[in-house]
Amino acid sequence: MEQLTSEMMMVLMMIGIAVFLFIVEWVRVDVVAILMMVALPLLHLVTPKEAFVGLSSNAVVSIIAVIIIGAGLDKTGMINKLVKPVLVIAGTSTSRVIVAISCTVAIISSFMQNIGAAALFLPAIQRISKMQKIPLSRLLMPVGFSAILGGTITLVGCSPLILLNDLLIPFDLEPFGLFDVTPIGLALVASGIACFILLGRFILPQGETGESDNVAVCTLENEEIEGDTHIDNDDDHNDGNIRLESAEKHSREGNELNKRYELTTSEDFMDYRDPVFVDDLRRRYLVNVLALTEPPDFKTLSPPPEAEIRAGVDLVVCGKRKDVLRMAAAEEMQLKACIECYDKEFDSATSGIVEAVVSPRSHFVGQTIAAIRFNDRFRVTPLEIHRQGEIYRAEIDNIMLQTGDVISFYGTWKRLESLHREGGLLFSMPSDIEDMRPEKALWAAGWLILALTMIMFFKIQLSVSLMTGALGMVITRVLSIDEAYQSVDWRTIFLLAGLIPLGIATEKTGTAAWIAGTILSIIGDVPPIVLLTVIGILSTVFTLVISNVGATVLLVPLVVNMALASGADPRMAALVVGLATSNSFMLPTHQVNALYMGPGRYRTIDFIKAGSLVSVIFLVVMIAMISLIYGI
Amino acid sequence: MAIITISRGSHSMGKAVAERVAEKLGYRIISRDLLLKTSDKFQVPQHTLLQAIHDAPGIFERYKHTKQIYMAYIRSALVEMVAEGEVVYHGLAGHLLLKGLDHVLKIRITANLEGRIARKVKEEGLTEQKARSIIMDDDEQRRKWTRKIYETDPWDSSLYDMVICIDKLSIENAVDFISSAALTEPFRKTEATLKKSQDLLIACNVKAALVEDFSDANVTCEYGNALVYSTEKDAHNIKFKKILDRLRKENSRIYNLEVHTGVTAPINAV
Repeated sequence: MEQLTSEMMMVLMMIGIAVFLFIVEWVRVDVVAILMMVALPLLHLVTPKEAFVGLSSNAVVSIIAVIIIGAGLDKTGMINKLVKPVLVIAGTSTSRVIVAISCTVAIISSFMQNIGAAALFLPAIQRISKMQKIPLSRLLMPVGFSAILGGTITLVGCSPLILLNDLLIPFDLEPFGLFDVTPIGLALVASGIACFILLGRFILPQGETGESDNVAVCTLENEEIEGDTHIDNDDDHNDGNIRLESAEKHSREGNELNKRYELTTSEDFMDYRDPVFVDDLRRRYLVNVLALTEPPDFKTLSPPPEAEIRAGVDLVVCGKRKDVLRMAAAEEMQLKACIECYDKEFDSATSGIVEAVVSPRSHFVGQTIAAIRFNDRFRVTPLEIHRQGEIYRAEIDNIMLQTGDVISFYGTWKRLESLHREGGLLFSMPSDIEDMRPEKALWAAGWLILALTMIMFFKIQLSVSLMTGALGMVITRVLSIDEAYQSVDWRTIFLLAGLIPLGIATEKTGTAAWIAGTILSIIGDVPPIVLLTVIGILSTVFTLVISNVGATVLLVPLVVNMALASGADPRMAALVVGLATSNSFMLPTHQVNALYMGPGRYRTIDFIKAGSLVSVIFLVVMIAMISLIYGI
Repeated sequence: MAIITISRGSHSMGKAVAERVAEKLGYRIISRDLLLKTSDKFQVPQHTLLQAIHDAPGIFERYKHTKQIYMAYIRSALVEMVAEGEVVYHGLAGHLLLKGLDHVLKIRITANLEGRIARKVKEEGLTEQKARSIIMDDDEQRRKWTRKIYETDPWDSSLYDMVICIDKLSIENAVDFISSAALTEPFRKTEATLKKSQDLLIACNVKAALVEDFSDANVTCEYGNALVYSTEKDAHNIKFKKILDRLRKENSRIYNLEVHTGVTAPINAV
């Protein structure tokens, strides 16, 4: 075995730094990649040209083109239109709905970024959940996992596979074709879906349908409350509490969120008390004011937090019943039996409550609700935030939004539409309000087919073919060039481009060969199938703690050297890494899992439970299929 | 119906003023019995608490947080004792421990140094030099302690509603001033002030429950809605969740309890 040189030690140190920074996340992963891009030539571990070769690599250009093509398809609304026929085929059976949507998402994901396909389908899945009364938690995880698994169907389905051929160049190994991985990918998708169909009831949380969120106005049944909830000025405070408790006891809907109630303030509401503002009611009683009458009779929907509640006015609030009763008692308001003054405004045809998910790369990420000013800008009221199984109702104004957060909004449909058009939020609303270009659908499909034809039949390089498709979409105005630029996720691009020189340094300095030799000397002589299984497990562990791209760049040179040294097929070893870096189901660290966690009301334990099983099945099926097809 | 805090240096006649004010207004007086209450409530030996409130924090405090823990306990006990009002507190840092309550009348009693030394010599039979050294050392310890823990100077007059120097003014004068001030509008007990006291008590109890293991957590409470501001790491800790679940079950005054992460705690957070 080769001796450990100072250069190798420096490369090992850089790998250690990169892995450490990936895990602790002191800086973003793409910044770590740029750090490598700059540090490696400064340490003379790669030449300056090699340091930036990633930016012009086949993989990076292919990814840019895939993202633009995906955005083009999205713009035509073509993918959303797939939902209807898929549902007709699926019928009302939960299993068939899961199979139909998962297969569709997997196929779409094989030609665009996993996260893009997952985000695209989220609103449709929310609608299906409501329509078919299937709990969202039963649908989202299988569909999310299928989006990740779908990335293994073609060589452009996910970043590690796009990167694979570039990483094989230094070893003079034959590159993989676009559909070389398809049988394996299809088997992985099928096994993943089968796992949820057969064992779903044991591994998936049994949630509720989101139906109650969009229901119309709540009507109070008189017998639920003993008499009037109005507490007279002379009433003893304790007496009010007793009556409240009694009313609560009889309430069948006591804990339901987001029901709407109309109240009236007393004529002496403003006497002997400090002014009460809309924001005070939310902070003190966790009740949101949706409508407020300004004297004499000016109706305001979604009043701003600083609006003052005056005497003798009507207001419509939304919240838990017990909170509303508490507020009515404490603030001496009269709770009406049903919505009276605002019946037209709160008709389900005019307004309602919707849930919106903060999308990946949304401009709302990192901002607080107070800073975004939803009330002022869009005249909609944010009601609550769901994040990782927690519901935030108090002081939501100060919460910094993250990708995957679910915000419940109340507003008129018109105002909610204008918020939808702003972008950055995925709504469970009909897609026809989006700025779609359905007339360009044929062009978009045509350019995709042309790109695939160039790859498959004319053997033109991946990047050239895909960029042709992307350029075609821009020229035929499926999307503008600015929209194309905006759609590109520069974090992914720099992550890829920045880590490529690390791979070069690992190979060039002989570090990969040294590590491979060391590992092989430890594990001894093993049959190729065992070696590939070990590589698969190693890749799965790496992808859970560092990014899938990082894992691929670091592991491919290593495993190719290991395979060469032990007499196994080096291409297969690299393929195992390319595929197994998609085996990221056990933790919500994968972008798709993080996006679906909020809307599905999943907890980390749900991912560990279902993800562990799917990960094991993934490894078994992958090794079995590689052995079956390539005969290792 | 106010809450009166009297801050004082040793031998400044503050104790005598506090006792006379309490007697005149018919208020309860609290001083060292706070430690007894804290000791009972949190099962911590009194001498440990005494050490925590007397000695200035050492260099290891930033790692051990022992002072922070005991001060959270003491604050929780004090707020519980004063919640109903009509109290004169003349122990340590009352004006700081009861921060957040608007109807607290904060008094600082000072006296000229020579007078204090003379009283020390008379009461304890020490030499003048020894008495001077003890009083000056004690003042320095107080100053250090307050600066380290609350980042304020106890001699800063803006921390108090009234600063009275017992020199030309007598104890009787001071008692009269304080009693008159206590009966004015801003210090009256109302439903709102009672609610604020109860909210502060909830916040202090939640903080006291968390402080030993999660010293970075801050708590606010309004109308029974408690909000814990913590780090993402703490919020996912099983022990942290268990403590909050227990509080939700056991503390009937907590109406709603949420944990917010990644948000700077407000300035009034406990």
